[in-house]
Amino acid sequence: MSHDQWGFVFNKENCIQCHGCEVACKTWRNIDLGVNWRRVINLWSGEYPHVTCSSASIACMHCIEPACIDVCPTAAVSKHATDGIVLVDAEKCSGCQACLDACPYEVPQFGLDGIMQKCDMCLSGKPDGSNFSQKAPPCVSTCPTQALVLQKMTVSQKKEAEQTIKVLLNNQ
Amino acid sequence: MTKQPEQASENCAFTLDQAKAVAQEAGEQVVPTYCAMCGPNPTCGIYAFVKDGRFTRVAGMAESPLNKGGVCPKGHAAPQWVYSPDRLRKPLLRKGAKGEGVFQEISWDEAISVIADRLRQQKVQYGPESLAILSPARRSYSDFIQRFLIAHGSPNYGHSGICFVQREFAFSYTIGGQPRCDYKNADLIVLWGRQPIYSGPAMGPARDLVAAKRRGAKIIAIKPSVEPDVGMADIWAPLRPGTDAALALSMLNVIIGENLIDAPFVEAWCYGYEQLRAHIRKYPPEWGERISGVPAGQIQEIARLYATTRAATIDLGNGVEHAPSSSDAIRSVAILMAITGHLDRPGGNLLGGGRRSMPSPKTVNLADRYTQEMVDKLVGPELPKVFQPFWGGTSSAYYRILDSVLTKTPYPIRTIIAPGTQPTVSNRGSKRVVEALKKVDFYVVLDVTRTADMNYADIVLPVSTPYESDHPFESRGNWIMARNQVIEPLGDYKSMYEFFLDLGVQMGYGADFWNGSITDCQNYQLSPFGLTIEELREYPVGLVYDPKGNARSYENYSRIFKRRSNALSHEPYLPQGKVAIYNTTFEREGYNPLPEWREPPESITGTPELAKKYPLILSDYHTSKVYSASWQRNVPYLREIQPFPTLHIHPATAAARKINDQDWIIVESPHGWMKVKAELYPGIRPDTVMILHGWWQGCRELGFDDMPILDGGANVNNMYSVDPDQAFDPLITAMSSQTLVEVRKYEP
Repeated sequence: MSHDQWGFVFNKENCIQCHGCEVACKTWRNIDLGVNWRRVINLWSGEYPHVTCSSASIACMHCIEPACIDVCPTAAVSKHATDGIVLVDAEKCSGCQACLDACPYEVPQFGLDGIMQKCDMCLSGKPDGSNFSQKAPPCVSTCPTQALVLQKMTVSQKKEAEQTIKVLLNNQ
Repeated sequence: MTKQPEQASENCAFTLDQAKAVAQEAGEQVVPTYCAMCGPNPTCGIYAFVKDGRFTRVAGMAESPLNKGGVCPKGHAAPQWVYSPDRLRKPLLRKGAKGEGVFQEISWDEAISVIADRLRQQKVQYGPESLAILSPARRSYSDFIQRFLIAHGSPNYGHSGICFVQREFAFSYTIGGQPRCDYKNADLIVLWGRQPIYSGPAMGPARDLVAAKRRGAKIIAIKPSVEPDVGMADIWAPLRPGTDAALALSMLNVIIGENLIDAPFVEAWCYGYEQLRAHIRKYPPEWGERISGVPAGQIQEIARLYATTRAATIDLGNGVEHAPSSSDAIRSVAILMAITGHLDRPGGNLLGGGRRSMPSPKTVNLADRYTQEMVDKLVGPELPKVFQPFWGGTSSAYYRILDSVLTKTPYPIRTIIAPGTQPTVSNRGSKRVVEALKKVDFYVVLDVTRTADMNYADIVLPVSTPYESDHPFESRGNWIMARNQVIEPLGDYKSMYEFFLDLGVQMGYGADFWNGSITDCQNYQLSPFGLTIEELREYPVGLVYDPKGNARSYENYSRIFKRRSNALSHEPYLPQGKVAIYNTTFEREGYNPLPEWREPPESITGTPELAKKYPLILSDYHTSKVYSASWQRNVPYLREIQPFPTLHIHPATAAARKINDQDWIIVESPHGWMKVKAELYPGIRPDTVMILHGWWQGCRELGFDDMPILDGGANVNNMYSVDPDQAFDPLITAMSSQTLVEVRKYEP
């Protein structure tokens, strides 16, 4: 496994909760209604009047050690050795949803065909995905405040990025 | 896996060359143009991608100095709006009864003829003032509305009375103009009734706010509920809706009482400070707490912090423009800025010492043709006649135009044109608005998709989206760019601009309407640039003028405080050449010389008896993260994010009524009722509930039906008082968006 993996970094302080990333993902990848490869969620903390709200933009983290790979009975999920991108093979997926139970970020989505789908970082080499090879994915490039960043990172940096999202989700 | 970026750049949006390369790989074309999802206006620059003649997707334009490559969810969802099954296809002529929705398709030429014949006949019979055109929020075509009205001879431009002009007016007559906020240099930013994120998230303010926060600036947010700006704030002052004037008056009490003023500025540049000092004693923070619900200690804290922070700016938003004391709130805030020495100084509130290096296009509003006779004929002046024309021209209040049809006072409007605006859901008093639309002689609707009230129209005209049109060019700040056509029109469409030009020609006003040529019109507007529209189009991402030419100076008081108004008298805004703390102009016209407090028509402190039956305050949100005002509910990618009309209610308030999250509930005020969903919302005052305005539209792709416009629907504008004596600010026609309600679970 290479120490240089691509990954998303979410900077909570910069996020203005505009949902631009979420809809950019849907239009650029032509995602079905009811399916979200990326979602922006509100995170409440405190009690009135000392209450506040921030948000998190969450898609597949392309984890260092993806739980979805471990639980998949048909070996439909795999991780690229070169860049760390986690991909789903629709031919192999049985739609059992074991990955949904395993994923700490509630990422796996199931459309009308029942097959698992999720973010492929727009770098998967599929005809649609190849569009973005020159630049960051649309979710990143559309962000008005650079709250979402795509970076090549070391294993420890990626673990940190994973931990950031886990903490945000657990503090909900 | 080719050409991956080695490192994420600071801004990785597309430039034109990069957009073209991406388009080429996918067999697409790319068209640089403007986003139109909160316009048409000079808004974000985008690259529109087109495949086989179909508009498919959008990327932000990195070269645009406005959005710098960012795009919000509305901008990305644009193709779904363009290809909506709700698009109007052909001009329609009413065949059935008003409201029935039975129409016959006609041609554009026939439609323009029918309208022109009716306007000519009414002009002879009732005078040109019998025509009113309702304005939506400020759009690029607003000046064309003014132009047509003036050419026709009517002063009745129907401005909403709920947005922008209220601040522009009260600021101008107190401190000489509406100030800008110096986010970039401020150590303290007070966001007051302001939403800098939902209103154009990809444009400057949100970016500047994030940068200020990172720089260590302190942020105070003043509003009834938690929105994203509150999430960024250090202090949240949750005030009751409509009580901004009370809070501002109490802050003045603290600052004056503790002598936290900039004495040399007050001495040199303020008129009437001594009168204010005596007057303000009746508004101590304990009084402010009783009215606004903000604790007295917090009022003191905010007042002291603001007065004692040298670089402090107040960003006063649209939230203060919806109450009977709106003018007093804005005047009080202007006085706060002045007496604490925050006007036109770095990090404070700037009054226009800037000079732009870019020329301004010629305006098309014919404002030099106003006469006293026209001003006298205003059917329902938005501002007192003596102050008209004001911003962009004369204006009657949108609601008062509709009301004149029912009251016939001072005379009934005979034709109403609604270009891109929906009176039944965009303005208060929906029940009376429906009655007026049933009764008015002639009603013309122009829009892109079905509207809430088109069934009352005599003529419905389908207009092109700006993506199907190559005009108008737009300019803002130091950037000017042509609008380019993305796709061929999908139906029998004209643009809003072509409509006014064609109608002008048909009415015999052709000389004022470039004989129908939009190209000649744009060339006229561009003359200060020494460019034709075709020459401008040769710059695909427009022209950016050197911002270094934008020299700024501070403390321009002697110049700014002498500004003359646009009123026919051209009297200066500030007769003493100083900040009008004590306002002799308003006093002369019979209004309060000093700001005071007026209760909303229904409130906990103003109508305590009514509050026993209706214990909660209801108000509404003017903006949302995914919708522009009352449109776009039919865009599926947006509707998914905010699928239902939901009432924000504090969990404790809900629990006391056995209401759970996402339950359907009935919300009842003395004026109407809604059926909506409850959203248990920890960040709202427990005595207040709030909902987004503008709900009526269904979304076919997601199986959502339209909702009723009046009782039983989700239209909050049906819930408020429109009592002429209580629901309006007497000076600036701000209409109240506060009432009292009770909420209960819906039992089918």
